[in-house]
Amino acid sequence: MRFLRSYAKSLLLWELLLGMRLTLRHFFSPKVTIRYPEEKTPKSPRYRGMLVLRRYPSGEERCIACKLCEAVCPALAITIDSEMREDGTRRTTRYDIDAFKCIYCGFCEEACPVDAIVASRFTEFHFEERGQQIMTKDVMLAMGDKLEPQIAADRAIENQYR
Amino acid sequence: MKFHATKEFLPEDMREMINERVSRYPEGWQRSAVIDALREAQHRNGGYLDERWMDAIADQLDLPPIDVYEVATFYSMFETRPVGRNSVSICTNISCMLRGSDEIVEHAEKKLGIKVGQTTSDGRVYLKCEEECLAACKGAPMMMVNHKYHENLTPEKVDEILDGLE
Amino acid sequence: MSDETVNIEINGEPLKARKGQMVIEVADDAGIRIPRFCYHKKLSVAANCRMCLVELEKAPKPMPACATPVGEGMKVYTQSPKALSAQKNTMEFLLINHPLDCPICDQGGECELQDLALGFGRGVSRYTEGKRVVSDPDLGPLISTDMTRCIHCTRCVRFTEEVAGYKELGATGRGEQMRIGTYIEQTVDHELSGNVIDLCPVGALNNKPFRFRGRAWEMTQHAQVSPHDPVGSNLWAHVLRGEFLRAVPRDNESINETWIADRDRYSNEGIYSEERVTTPLLRGKDGLQPVSWSEALEVAAKTLSDVIREHGADQLGALAAPGASVEEHFLFQALVRGLGSNNLDHRLGQVDFRSDGAEGHYPWFGITLEEIESLDGAMVIGSSLRKEAPMLAHRVRKAALNGTRVGLVNPAHYSYQFPTSGHLVRHGAELVTAAAEVVVALSEQLKASVPEEVQGLVKNVEPGAEARAIAEGLAAGESRWVMLGQLARSHPNWSELRALGLAAAGMANARFGVLSDGGNSAGAALAGVLPHRGPGAQAVKDAGLNAHEMFVSPRQAYLLLDCEPARDAWDSAAARDAMAGADKVIALASFMNEDLRQQADIVLPVGVYAESFGTRVNGEGRWQSSQGTVQPPGEARPAWKILRALGNVLELDGFEQMDPEEVLRDARAAIGEPGPGEENLDGVELAQPARPKGLWRLGEMPIYAVDALVRRSEPLQQTRDGRAAEARLAPADAEQLNVNDGDAVRVSLGNRGCRLLARIDTALPKGSVAVPVGLAETEGLGPRHGGVTVERI
Repeated sequence: MRFLRSYAKSLLLWELLLGMRLTLRHFFSPKVTIRYPEEKTPKSPRYRGMLVLRRYPSGEERCIACKLCEAVCPALAITIDSEMREDGTRRTTRYDIDAFKCIYCGFCEEACPVDAIVASRFTEFHFEERGQQIMTKDVMLAMGDKLEPQIAADRAIENQYR
Repeated sequence: MKFHATKEFLPEDMREMINERVSRYPEGWQRSAVIDALREAQHRNGGYLDERWMDAIADQLDLPPIDVYEVATFYSMFETRPVGRNSVSICTNISCMLRGSDEIVEHAEKKLGIKVGQTTSDGRVYLKCEEECLAACKGAPMMMVNHKYHENLTPEKVDEILDGLE
Repeated sequence: MSDETVNIEINGEPLKARKGQMVIEVADDAGIRIPRFCYHKKLSVAANCRMCLVELEKAPKPMPACATPVGEGMKVYTQSPKALSAQKNTMEFLLINHPLDCPICDQGGECELQDLALGFGRGVSRYTEGKRVVSDPDLGPLISTDMTRCIHCTRCVRFTEEVAGYKELGATGRGEQMRIGTYIEQTVDHELSGNVIDLCPVGALNNKPFRFRGRAWEMTQHAQVSPHDPVGSNLWAHVLRGEFLRAVPRDNESINETWIADRDRYSNEGIYSEERVTTPLLRGKDGLQPVSWSEALEVAAKTLSDVIREHGADQLGALAAPGASVEEHFLFQALVRGLGSNNLDHRLGQVDFRSDGAEGHYPWFGITLEEIESLDGAMVIGSSLRKEAPMLAHRVRKAALNGTRVGLVNPAHYSYQFPTSGHLVRHGAELVTAAAEVVVALSEQLKASVPEEVQGLVKNVEPGAEARAIAEGLAAGESRWVMLGQLARSHPNWSELRALGLAAAGMANARFGVLSDGGNSAGAALAGVLPHRGPGAQAVKDAGLNAHEMFVSPRQAYLLLDCEPARDAWDSAAARDAMAGADKVIALASFMNEDLRQQADIVLPVGVYAESFGTRVNGEGRWQSSQGTVQPPGEARPAWKILRALGNVLELDGFEQMDPEEVLRDARAAIGEPGPGEENLDGVELAQPARPKGLWRLGEMPIYAVDALVRRSEPLQQTRDGRAAEARLAPADAEQLNVNDGDAVRVSLGNRGCRLLARIDTALPKGSVAVPVGLAETEGLGPRHGGVTVERI
């Protein structure tokens, strides 16, 4: 009996038809793919993209060179040199992140006592030459300046859970 | 270490007085005479101490000056900055407070035009901030003017006392 | 302390303790950790932080473990609920006024408060009121202050009072107004002051040059030995990414205990000076030009062999810094002797070499540092001990406070901060007579006859009261010590002073010692960097010229090992002229200076002490090796490598070593075990000292000018001791010369001289003027000691 049933199924291409039905259904259902880069998927406020450095509204850089991010970084991607700035405050003279080493774990953001280093939603970057992957302080501050509205908005949402 | 003044700065009779005080204590304990010396210096220097007097005392007693500074800044009876000729301290500790010392302070401040801890611009009265009870609770509220106690104060009495100061 | 033992119990563990010990000491010995801030094993007990509260059985309240002596049958609980609650409450109070600015605090990561707050602090503070803010006093270029962080443990105050000897810091005010500081605006100037940084349990006092440059957790720690004085203090070098950022003490109870001098702590700042030589340099048409190593070595070797061929090996003079390592000294002497010259010396600061043959195998203290503390009597001749070797001075001070009777014979009234049996201060030219006075007094005291050799010096000498007091102190007790300092060694009558010192030591049955220059003069002497002795103090056949002779009868060529002749030499002017007049000067140098720029033909850049493996022999005869912890900058190489390469290019024997350990092995094999040797007076001709005309120049070596590295350390140069270029005059002389404090004066000797600001100093005896050596300002003057004229300009 079982033999007959399977014989009939294979003769009548039953399974192929089942497959075609699924194909046909998806043919008419709404698409899940998007037209990147014109279209983009939504991202969570907790999204961990490229790390950037923030400033205070006064324009003063937030980072105080406490080096906690450097210490906590599991991939050893962060390198900081610090010094006393002329006004006597503690500041970095170098803040490098090796984008190839960074694993986007977000520990640095967790460790930062002044919210200076933050993970942004920014993911679209490429490098053309070796050496460019070292994100220097100037680059990260510039990116931070550019992305500040979004970063600030994300932190505002997240504040209640921290 | 540079002294602002050496022991020669002190008047001869004061040096003798310090030596006499030192002789009351066992040898090597000359620092016990610091308070007496400071009190005398404050008296002679118009009610406050400056570094010259303190350094001179340190030199006289063979102590590092910081030892003398420590004592001078610890006791509230020693002033380390220029103050008025007459020192007025109104007790605001608990007994006096319950008997209305706050109004007395307020009245004195208004009358003299200064706050506690300040000196009148003519240098006549220094309204001192007294830290602790002056042990005359039976006559609360009370105040001390140039080491003399005045008890059972009223605003009128305060006026009278303050007006009577040189 | 009594030897009686008592039985106590801590946390149920039965322990034996000496009677009179504090609970915390017993607990520490047993490895039971009690939290503390104000307690420190080297300081007195203050019991003011209250962090070490523990529960005692039968005591109604918790007691401070640091101030509770043990008693028989005492039961202590350090972790009981009562003790823990007391500790936690104390912590909460301490944190009330603490700013909690750990992210910007340099102490973060090595902070005792941070560590203990983790164990005893609350997760969230209950304190919502305003915190106190304290302004920061300026304590000078070495110590940074953030007094808001201070928790008033008073360790720093007790340090200045008890260890440094002069209370510079104090706690002024009371209650919430209490603050630690100097009260008046002034710097902390003691040469051990940097230790308050290590003592401070929080970040209130910190290392100023190091400020904000690194974190405790990211630096690697390497053992090092200080090369600046014969104590050989043990250090940890803290290195971040190949840069020597700071030095901290490495505990060694028998050398530096837990302290180091500021000179050892901050000299590393000189390593990255702009004057560092980083490439081999060769004199071309327009001055020194960078060249490759191979070319430089080739030319250096050719120059050396040319000089020897043309002028003979006798025309080569070789000078080494006394701070260089044994390896470097050994290869240096092998190179120079290989070239056939014996003109070889490391004693640039000495002038009187008459007793060379009678001296011991190497200059040493004659005693170990620890033994100093148990002496009964001592005498120090010609030493500003505190500035020459701060850690040695600390030991002597400890001994003096402990009852040792220390007498001093000096050319100026140096401050010591301890009770002395006498301080005999005499004009430099009369120093020999002063020492003779003590010898005469001692012979009267001990009813011993003055040794025959020095009879001539003590003739007609009548001891004064001070000399008698010193003699009496020296004669006291069983164990005694006589030491001659650097001022005695650089004195034109060193032989006489030494003879008198030896005579005193002989009569009093005391040990005899010498405080020499630099961190390794003992090693240099053993390695054979001497004109008259080879490695292991073997006498050489034809003794060469000593350092002074090399300058006064100039050579055609000089080979320098990390020394700056115009700064280091006894007669700086003669040294400079000799260099300028020389046909060729080959310098192995770590730092450039104006003289090198003008005079050197070849400069080979060498590493400083932390940059290569090196062994140094301290004043106790203790051999201490340390590894290179950082790379020399640029093309600079460890000196032993350069010397070995030079030896190879010159095809000399004995330069086959592959690594510095091998050099050390060879050096040790060559040196053998000569021991300190005997100090005697054989063949030394003694003479009555001459009294020169004019004022006596007292050429002190300032504490922060002792070697090339220290001279480049910016923070040290900014201290009061670093700004030493002054002519100090006795009040009587100043009056006679009509000179006021701060006037410009010219100190001159013949047509040489220098212009300085005058300072009136009551510490100086009449007839002397203290003009420091080792400074650019005084280079032109010449002899370190002797007659000069001073005039107001």
